[in-house]
Amino acid sequence: MNTLLFRLFLLALLASTTLLSACKDDKEDPTPDEDNEQITTLIYTLTPAGGGTPVTVQYRDLDGDGGTAPTIGTLTLAPNTTYTGTLELKDETKTPAENTTAEIQEKAEEHLFFYEPSGTNLTVTRTDKDKNNLEIGLTTRAVTGAANATGTTGTLKITLRHQPGSKNGTFTPGSTDVEVNFPTVVR
Amino acid sequence: MLFRAPGRSRGRLTRWLPGVVVLCALPLGQLAAQSVAPGGCALLLSGRVQDHESRGALAGATVVVLETQQATQTEPDGHYHLDLCPGVYHVQVSFVGFTPETVEVRVSGAVLRDFQLHPDAIALKGAVVEGQHMAAPTPQATGNLSGQALQQTRGQALGEALQKISGVTAIQTGPSIFKPMIHGLHSNRVTILNNGVRQEGQQWGQEHGPEIDPFIASQLTVVKGAASVRYGSDAIGGVVLVQPKALRDSAGTGAELNLVGMSNNGLGAASGTVEGNVRQLPALSWRAQGTVKRAGTMRAPGYYLRNSGFEEYDFSAAVGWRKANYGLEVFYSQFNTRLGILPAAHAESPSDLYAAIARRRPLETSGFSYAINRAYQQISHDLLKVTGFVRTGTAGKLTATLGQQTDYRDEYDLYSARNADRAARNRPALSYSNRTTTGELLWEHRPLGGFTGSVGVAGTYQFNRYADGTRGFIPFYNNTIAGAFAIERWTRNRWQLEAGIRADYRTLETRRGTRDTLGVYYVDRREFTYLTPAASLGAIFDATPHLTLNLTTSLTQRAPAANERFSDGVHNAQYELGYDLVPGNGALGPETAYHTGLTASWHDNPRLNGELTLYQTTIDGYIHQRPILPPVINIRGTLVSWQYQRTNAVLRGLDLGATYRLAPQWQVGGKASIVRGRDTQEDEWLFFMPADRAELSVRYAVPERPAARLTGRYVQLGSYAVARQTRVPADYAAKDYALPPAGYVLLGLEAGATVHWGRLPLTISLAGSNLLNQRYRDYLNRYRYFADEMGRNVTLRVQVPFELSRRR
Repeated sequence: MNTLLFRLFLLALLASTTLLSACKDDKEDPTPDEDNEQITTLIYTLTPAGGGTPVTVQYRDLDGDGGTAPTIGTLTLAPNTTYTGTLELKDETKTPAENTTAEIQEKAEEHLFFYEPSGTNLTVTRTDKDKNNLEIGLTTRAVTGAANATGTTGTLKITLRHQPGSKNGTFTPGSTDVEVNFPTVVR
Repeated sequence: MLFRAPGRSRGRLTRWLPGVVVLCALPLGQLAAQSVAPGGCALLLSGRVQDHESRGALAGATVVVLETQQATQTEPDGHYHLDLCPGVYHVQVSFVGFTPETVEVRVSGAVLRDFQLHPDAIALKGAVVEGQHMAAPTPQATGNLSGQALQQTRGQALGEALQKISGVTAIQTGPSIFKPMIHGLHSNRVTILNNGVRQEGQQWGQEHGPEIDPFIASQLTVVKGAASVRYGSDAIGGVVLVQPKALRDSAGTGAELNLVGMSNNGLGAASGTVEGNVRQLPALSWRAQGTVKRAGTMRAPGYYLRNSGFEEYDFSAAVGWRKANYGLEVFYSQFNTRLGILPAAHAESPSDLYAAIARRRPLETSGFSYAINRAYQQISHDLLKVTGFVRTGTAGKLTATLGQQTDYRDEYDLYSARNADRAARNRPALSYSNRTTTGELLWEHRPLGGFTGSVGVAGTYQFNRYADGTRGFIPFYNNTIAGAFAIERWTRNRWQLEAGIRADYRTLETRRGTRDTLGVYYVDRREFTYLTPAASLGAIFDATPHLTLNLTTSLTQRAPAANERFSDGVHNAQYELGYDLVPGNGALGPETAYHTGLTASWHDNPRLNGELTLYQTTIDGYIHQRPILPPVINIRGTLVSWQYQRTNAVLRGLDLGATYRLAPQWQVGGKASIVRGRDTQEDEWLFFMPADRAELSVRYAVPERPAARLTGRYVQLGSYAVARQTRVPADYAAKDYALPPAGYVLLGLEAGATVHWGRLPLTISLAGSNLLNQRYRDYLNRYRYFADEMGRNVTLRVQVPFELSRRR
C-alpha cells in the first residue's frame, strides 16, 4: 500500500507542477491598440476660388468600428462656383492625433483618391501628382453647376485606393482604405 | 530465399514473446474473470481474422481465450464468436504460417475485435505484436478512420480527412483550413481530443482550423452526437478523438516513414516515426515523430489561386513507463504552420469584397510558387501531457491526466502599415495567445455484478489575451471550469444500459479594451458564473450476432463562450458583435440541447454490412449569428454585420453507410448523409447547413499469389456527389453574399499495392481526385465567393515500416 501512496503522491506532484506554471501575468489588462492603423476622421475643405468663407464637411468616428455610429456631415455648395479642395485625414484615437494626410503624401505613389458625385451638379478633378506623374487627389478643384431641384439631395463619394506597387492611375488595383458618402447639395 | 530459413526459427522465438507477456498479465486477468458471477454469461466477443497483407479472410484460424481456455475456429469467412463474462481477457489468435497475436480485450458488453495476422515472412522483418486497449462501445454513433482508410487520407488536414466519415463535413477556408462539422454543428459545439487532452485552440474564427498534425494519429474517431457527460459540456455536436498508437511494448526499435506528394499544388509531406522499447527495461517505451509539409499555389480549373500555399512543421515525442499495475506517460507535441490567404478573400472594405465576389475568377491570379506572401496566418500550438494510472486488484483503476497547451495565432494583413515606424516593426494586425491547463482524474471501478463504470473530476483553466498594441477582437479572458461526472453501465446477456450524469461549474472573467463616444480608451471588466448539468441514457442491444441497435438520449447545457458574448470588431470586411454587447440584450445564458440518436449496424456478414443512424438535436436558446440591420458603417463603407442572438433550433438527419461484396474480389460501398436544420422560433431554415451528399465506390482486390512481390493490390473507383443547398433562410440573397452554389459530382480513382522491396514492405498508392477537372464550388467553403475549388489532383502516398532492432 505504501507504494500505492507513493505513486499517488508522484501523480499529485506532477499535477501541481503543471498547474503552478500557469499563473503569471494572468491579471493583466489589455492596452490601447497603438499599432492598429486606422482613420477616424476625414475633413474635406472647399475654398471658393474667388474668395469667401470655406465650406467643410466631415466624417468622424472616435470610438472605432461599431458602437456609436459615425457622424457624417452634409456638403452644401453654391451654384456655378469653382472651389479649391483639400483633404485631411486623421487618427484621433492616438494621442496626439496621428496625421494620416502626411503619411499619404509621403507615400503618394501608393495612393489614389476618387471623387464621385451623383445626383448633383458637381465635378471634382484632382490637381496634385506623385513622383511618377500620376494623380493623387489630396488637393482638388470642384466646380458646381445649376442648383439641385428643391427637396433633392445628391451624394459625393470619396474613395481612397491603397495600391502599393500597383498604382497605374485606374481604380482597379489595390484595396479600399476609405469609402465615405457625403450627402451633397448645390443650392 | 536464404533469409527465410533463419527467419523461421526466429519466427518461433517471437511466438514465445506474447506468451511471456500473457503469463505476466495472467494473475490480473484471472482476478478480473473471477470477480464476476460464474457461468451463464453471454457477452459476445466476435470479429474477423484477416491476413494483414492481403486483407483476405483466414478460415480455420484458432482463437483462444487464455484465461478460460475457451477456443474456437474461424468460419470460412474468417469470423469467430465466443460468449464471455465481463472482464479483461487475453485472446490469442494463431494460424499456420502467421505470427500468432495476443491482445488484451476488455469485455463489458458485446465486443467486436478484428485481428490482422502478419505472415511469418513479414514477422521476421519486424512486425510488432501489440496489446491494444479496446474502448468500450458507446451507445452513440461513432465513425472511425484507421489502417488503410486513414492511410488514404495522409497529407490532408485533419478536418479534411474526417470528411471520409459519413455525417462529418467541414467548414472550409481555402485548401488548408478545415473545421470539422458533425451533423451540422461545429466550432464551440465540437470537442477535439488530441491524444486524450481537449484541444483548446481559438475556435471562434471560421477560418481557424484545428491545430493538430493528423500524422500523429493511428486512429481518428468521431463520436457523432452529444457526448457531454464524458467529454465536457461543449460536446453538444460531438467529439473528435485523435488517437496515437499505444507505445511499443515489445523490445526493439521500429520506425515508419510516410511520404505524400500531390500534383495540383505541389504538396510534399514527409512524416517519420521512430519508436522503441528498451530490452533491459521492458517497462520503458518511447516514440519520436515529426512532420514536414509544404504546398505551393493551388490550381483551380483554368487558373492558380494566388498565395494559396502553406507550410507546416510539427513534431511530437512520448516516453512511457508501463507496468501491469501502474504506468506513467509524458507526451509533448508542437504544431507550426503558415498559411497564405487568397488576396480576394482578404477584402477589408465592403466594396472590395463585393467586387471580388462579382468576378467569375479572382482578379489577381498567379503562376505556381511556394512563396507565402501577405496576407497570411502564422499559427503555433504546443501541448505537454502527463498521464499516469494505478491499478489495484480490489478498487479498480485510477488515471490522472494533465495537459498544458498554448496556442499562438498571428494574422498579417495584405499590406504593411502606412506609417513608416509601424511598417518597420512589421507586427501582425491580430495577435492572440491562449493558454490552457486541463486536468482529469478518472476512477474506473472493478466490475460489480454486471456493473462497470467510472467516476471522474475534470478541471480547466484558460487565459486568453492579445498582444499589446494590436487590435482586440476577442477580449482578454480567464475561464475556469470544474466538472464532475459518473458513468455507469449495466450488462446482461445481449443488453447494455448506460447512464451518465455530469455537472460543470464555470467562471468567466472578461477584460475588454474599448472606447467611449469621445474616443477615450477604457477597460470593461465583467465576471460570470454558471452551473450547467448534463445527463445521458443509452442502450446497446445485440439483436443477433450480426445486428446491433444503439439508442442514446441526452441533455446538455452549454455555457456560452467568450466570443459569443464579447466579440467586437471587423475581420475580413465583416463586423461581428457579441450577444452581451447588443444594446438591450443583457447577459447571455447557457443553451440547452436534447439529443436522441438511434443506430442500427449490420456487421460481420459475408456480403452486406452497414450502418444507419437517425438523430435529432433540439437546442433551446441556440446561440447563432444573424445580420444586424441597419448594417454598421465604418470609414471603409457599409459593412456586412453580424450579431450573436438566441433562438430555438432543431437539427435532424440521417447517416447511412454500407458495403456489399459482389464477388470475392469485388466490393461496392455507399454512404449518404442528410441534415435538416430549422430555426423553430423564426420558422425558417438555419444558415450554413451541409447540403445532402452521397458517395459510391467500387473496389477490386487483385487475388493474391503466393510469394508474390506485389501483394494487397487494389483498384477503387469512386464518385462523390453533393446537392445544391436549397434549404436556406427566406430572402437569402439579402443575407449572404451569394446564393448556395450548384451541386456537383466528382470522380476519383485510386490504386495501391504493397511492394516487397528487399525486406521492406512498401505500401504505395496513387489516387486521383476531381479527375474530370470540373469547376465547382462548395457551400461550406468560404472561398466559394471568390474562386473555384481545386482542380484535378493526383496524390502519391508511400508508407515504409522499418524494424531497426539488431538481429541476432
